Amino acid sequence: MASVTHACAVGELLSAYLDGELSRDELDTVVSHLDTCLDCIAEFHELRQARTMLRTLPRLEVPDRALPDIHYGAELSAYLDGELPTGEQPVVFAHMALCDRCRNELYELDAARTAVRSLPRLEALLERRHVDQNVVPLRPKRRSWVAASVAAAVVVAVVSFAGNEPQGPVVDLEVFSVQHGARLSVQSPASMFDAELTAADVSNP
Amino acid sequence: MAEELVPDWEDVARRYGRKIYNYAYRLTGNPDDSADLVQEVLLRVRKGLERYTPGSFEGWLWRITRNVFLDDVRKRKRRPTVPLCDDDRGVGNPSPSPDEVLSSVRLSEDVQAALLKLPIDFRECVVLCDVVGLTYDEISDAVDIPVGTVRSRIHRGRKMLRDMLTWPL
Ligand SMILES: [Zn+2]
Ligand SMILES: [Zn+2]
Repeated sequence: MASVTHACAVGELLSAYLDGELSRDELDTVVSHLDTCLDCIAEFHELRQARTMLRTLPRLEVPDRALPDIHYGAELSAYLDGELPTGEQPVVFAHMALCDRCRNELYELDAARTAVRSLPRLEALLERRHVDQNVVPLRPKRRSWVAASVAAAVVVAVVSFAGNEPQGPVVDLEVFSVQHGARLSVQSPASMFDAELTAADVSNP
Repeated sequence: MAEELVPDWEDVARRYGRKIYNYAYRLTGNPDDSADLVQEVLLRVRKGLERYTPGSFEGWLWRITRNVFLDDVRKRKRRPTVPLCDDDRGVGNPSPSPDEVLSSVRLSEDVQAALLKLPIDFRECVVLCDVVGLTYDEISDAVDIPVGTVRSRIHRGRKMLRDMLTWPL
């Protein structure tokens, strides 16, 4: 169903206007023309509607078979310990937003790590034995090492994804995204994708 | 948005796989063809990255994607696509109210079907702009046409879509 057609040359600029793709002069022309021409105002609204319909089409997921099988099993322990090279950390992070397999593996590794780290501390055993045997209590040096490693474990940024295991590791996302300047989020992949288009929309009226 | 470093292939797959798939799907309306296209593009990217010199990565990537798409079109001589019809609409509700008509016209299936009716040149520019999110310059680079042509194709494409999808207000 065709709507009004009219002869304004300015009409030809309306899509580029919506996309923020006009030169300064063209922009001035369009803006002042839209002040007076009802036909162009109507056309502007219809074009914007068409553009919005296109831009709000659902972002479909790629079928798994289309993508190569890339996973980070080998890197996940280093990732957990914050020991990956700086450049790789955000890549693995982004991958896990989309990959259940690596995410689950990360949780398992983290659980294992936690289990290891929460083994009864040597000091405690020593202490009891020392007490029993009436010997000198534990060395301060040893204790500070343990404290430091616990602190390190807290500091290490580990990812937690919304909607997954409540026991999952915790990350300071704010710190993480500041550090990496990436568009990272715990939102669904769909909204991650949309964010790019929203960014592209910014320049538009 | 300019890419300074040469990204590795797996990185491209992760970062662009979904965009490429959506590009292909909106152009063809066919999920299987689109998945094939993603695979083929990534294969060519993998081969091509050895010779890639840092520059406009988006332009380079979308030129490859486009070539794969065009090769595919030539090969198949346009296998008919599946425009989704009104099967899923109006069930148990034979005479929808004007409001329902208005909202149903915006169903993505309708938009998709309308897209498929656009001449391929227009469809391509519109998809690169509104689905992939490229700028006119990037589209000009990818499709190898002047920016002025990009501009008019997008405009004419959207106008045709509007005519197919909207009523006079
Ligand atoms: Zn006018
Ligand atoms: Zn994975």
